[in-house]
Amino acid sequence: MSETIKTEILTTDGVPLKDSLKKAERKNKIRATLLVLPLLLFIFFTFIVPIGSMLTRSTDDSYINKVFPKTFEVYKKWDRQGLPPEEVYAAMFLEVKTASGFEIGKASTRMNYAKSGWKSMIKKSKRKFKKIDLNDGPFKEKMIQVDKKWADPQYWLALGVMVDPKTYEYYFNAIDKKYDSEKNVIDQPENRQIYVKTWIKTFKVSILVTFFCLMLGYPIAYLLATLPLKYSNLLMICVLLPFWTSLLVRIVVWMVILQQKGVFNNLMVISGLIADENRWQLMYNQTGTIIVMTQILLPFMVLPLYSVMKTISPNYMRAALNLGASPLHAFWKIYMPNSVPGISAGGMLVFVIAIGYFITPELVGGKDGQMIGNWIGYHLKTTLNWGLSAALGGILLAIMTVLYWVYNKLVGIENIKLG
Amino acid sequence: MIKKIKIAFFSLMSFALVSSAYADITFVSWGGAYTAAQQKGYINDWDGKVNVENYNGGLGEIKAQVEAGNVTWDVVDILPDQGVTGCDEGLFLKLDQSEFIDDMIAGPVSECVAPQIFWAYTAFYSKSAFPDKKPKTIKDFFDVEKFPGKRAIHTWANATIEMALVADGVKPEFVYKMMSTPEGIDRAFAKLDTIKDHVIFWSAGSKPLEMISSGEAVMALAYNGRIGAAILTDGKDFDYIWDATVLEQEYLAIPTGTKNEAEARKFVAYAATAKSLAGVTKHITYAPMRKSALKIVKSGEPWFHNGIDVMPHVPTSKKIIKKAIVADPMWWADNGAEVSERFGAWKGN
Repeated sequence: MSETIKTEILTTDGVPLKDSLKKAERKNKIRATLLVLPLLLFIFFTFIVPIGSMLTRSTDDSYINKVFPKTFEVYKKWDRQGLPPEEVYAAMFLEVKTASGFEIGKASTRMNYAKSGWKSMIKKSKRKFKKIDLNDGPFKEKMIQVDKKWADPQYWLALGVMVDPKTYEYYFNAIDKKYDSEKNVIDQPENRQIYVKTWIKTFKVSILVTFFCLMLGYPIAYLLATLPLKYSNLLMICVLLPFWTSLLVRIVVWMVILQQKGVFNNLMVISGLIADENRWQLMYNQTGTIIVMTQILLPFMVLPLYSVMKTISPNYMRAALNLGASPLHAFWKIYMPNSVPGISAGGMLVFVIAIGYFITPELVGGKDGQMIGNWIGYHLKTTLNWGLSAALGGILLAIMTVLYWVYNKLVGIENIKLG
Repeated sequence: MIKKIKIAFFSLMSFALVSSAYADITFVSWGGAYTAAQQKGYINDWDGKVNVENYNGGLGEIKAQVEAGNVTWDVVDILPDQGVTGCDEGLFLKLDQSEFIDDMIAGPVSECVAPQIFWAYTAFYSKSAFPDKKPKTIKDFFDVEKFPGKRAIHTWANATIEMALVADGVKPEFVYKMMSTPEGIDRAFAKLDTIKDHVIFWSAGSKPLEMISSGEAVMALAYNGRIGAAILTDGKDFDYIWDATVLEQEYLAIPTGTKNEAEARKFVAYAATAKSLAGVTKHITYAPMRKSALKIVKSGEPWFHNGIDVMPHVPTSKKIIKKAIVADPMWWADNGAEVSERFGAWKGN
């Protein structure tokens, strides 16, 4: 015991050296933290908070529960057979009549997601209920007189999905499912099933775009990394120039090239490769989306590839060839594995950008080239169904996280290199 | 010295006063020829300074601004379903509508909106594509046997559903009644199926005109103002199919929580005057929503800025409106999401 105390090294003022060091370290740590604190705060407030608050909307159904507390209370006791009893009608009447116009408006937008038609029904009722006195019950018949939809059990049943302040309905909507009035998960009607198909399409397009970018970008990056400086500079400008050009300009140029009476088809017809009446449809469909997105995202593949290839010493290849490997073999065994970090980085970058792409599919997607981002945009802007938008976005985020995890397991995240 | 400071101070003060007398208004509209027409039609004559910004429609940005309590848009140019939903949700301020409420051709759709113009989804074609028999009705648009060739339509569902029903024999005045039944919607999609293999889709307003010009499509649906501009200023040989034209309304509204409320209200009142509306029609072939403004246009013919009669190109003339459908924003507020999803599924399959 006494020996261990003796072995402890003390500083000149008698404090154990360990503690003294720790103290000095702590100061440095605080200083370092203070230096990165602005950045952390920035990320927190501009990234984590908005995304978090958006994602909470995907399960939030509290607003409607605040507007119709009494109605939902008596509604829960109803056996969901035929039409609800008078007390449900009375509670609904009272709450529609007394709530403010804004509250009712917002609530009716929410109700309309569950069943189309609620919006106009509530709006009309709010206006006409003014003339009916609060003590003038029973209300069932009077409400049906105002709008006969009050006698349609479909609307009442649709309320069943909203009676809890937390809901997973938006997530189910995002995969073409919905709740029935008992909160069992059922399929959407077949002609409304659009999201699963769009998810699959989004992945298909993103994978294809990543693949084509790699196929096109790899040789370009190789040339960039190996050509003498004066040529490679010129080539670099060729890669970067489109990158600096407005996105819309590039999309419009592609339209000019690819449309049926466009440059490409004209050349094909003139050269006799295709007949005039069989011009290819290369625009306003998935093909168009893939072609244009590949060109737009190409620099995101080329630049990481280039920066990694630049670090691969030409001596490796020379050595392999010297030792008798065929050029193909040498490339496959030596060069390619060395460039994997660049392929990974480029691939991830292109795939991540492609999967959430919005503007290109919107403009050239036409018939079947629209992706999940377009539906997120539609619900954000037009239907104001932010719950569904958030759920679609949340699923996208979850998929990306899983992919990242799988990637980390398979390739290792340390194998990503942006330069 | 002190005197100099005083002078400088007061001149600064008066400068500040003058500049704050007309706070800058941020006016947000759709851009392109339409906003240019608003600019030339009345914004340029407004006393204050107006920053014109563009957006792509929808209530998303407005909702975000209002909820965050940081409203930077003072006046927004909106569609009627936005006018309905935005007013319901408290995103827009209620306006004093006494000035124009009895002078409207249709609407207003809510208490939060002031009139601008009618625009229309109109079918059109190039005369050179059909040298002999010309398509005249929406039935012809849906008849690929009689008039073979590609049809260009927009990627969203609005107006196409209505037109399909009229092409299938429904009278324009019963279209929304029909659309309110599941069978009606099925019927519209069945009609759309008949041209599905002959359709190409556009999403930017200039595309249908290019598609017709280049011959990529033989008939297209487009915004009538774009067709009007192509005919009146570019001298294209296009002609309208004034049948089952779907009239859409365009309004102004003020987002709740704007920092320049008083100025914004004054500006909206000014922008909704008959003179302002007629001014817009001088530069684009959209129809003013106020009867008195239409009168100004009619009596001022040739009213178009380059000295051509504009009334034949405006979608509210008696001849056109008899066969037209006034789009029902309430129907679209109710059923828009459902029908759009179905339209998306129809397109992609």
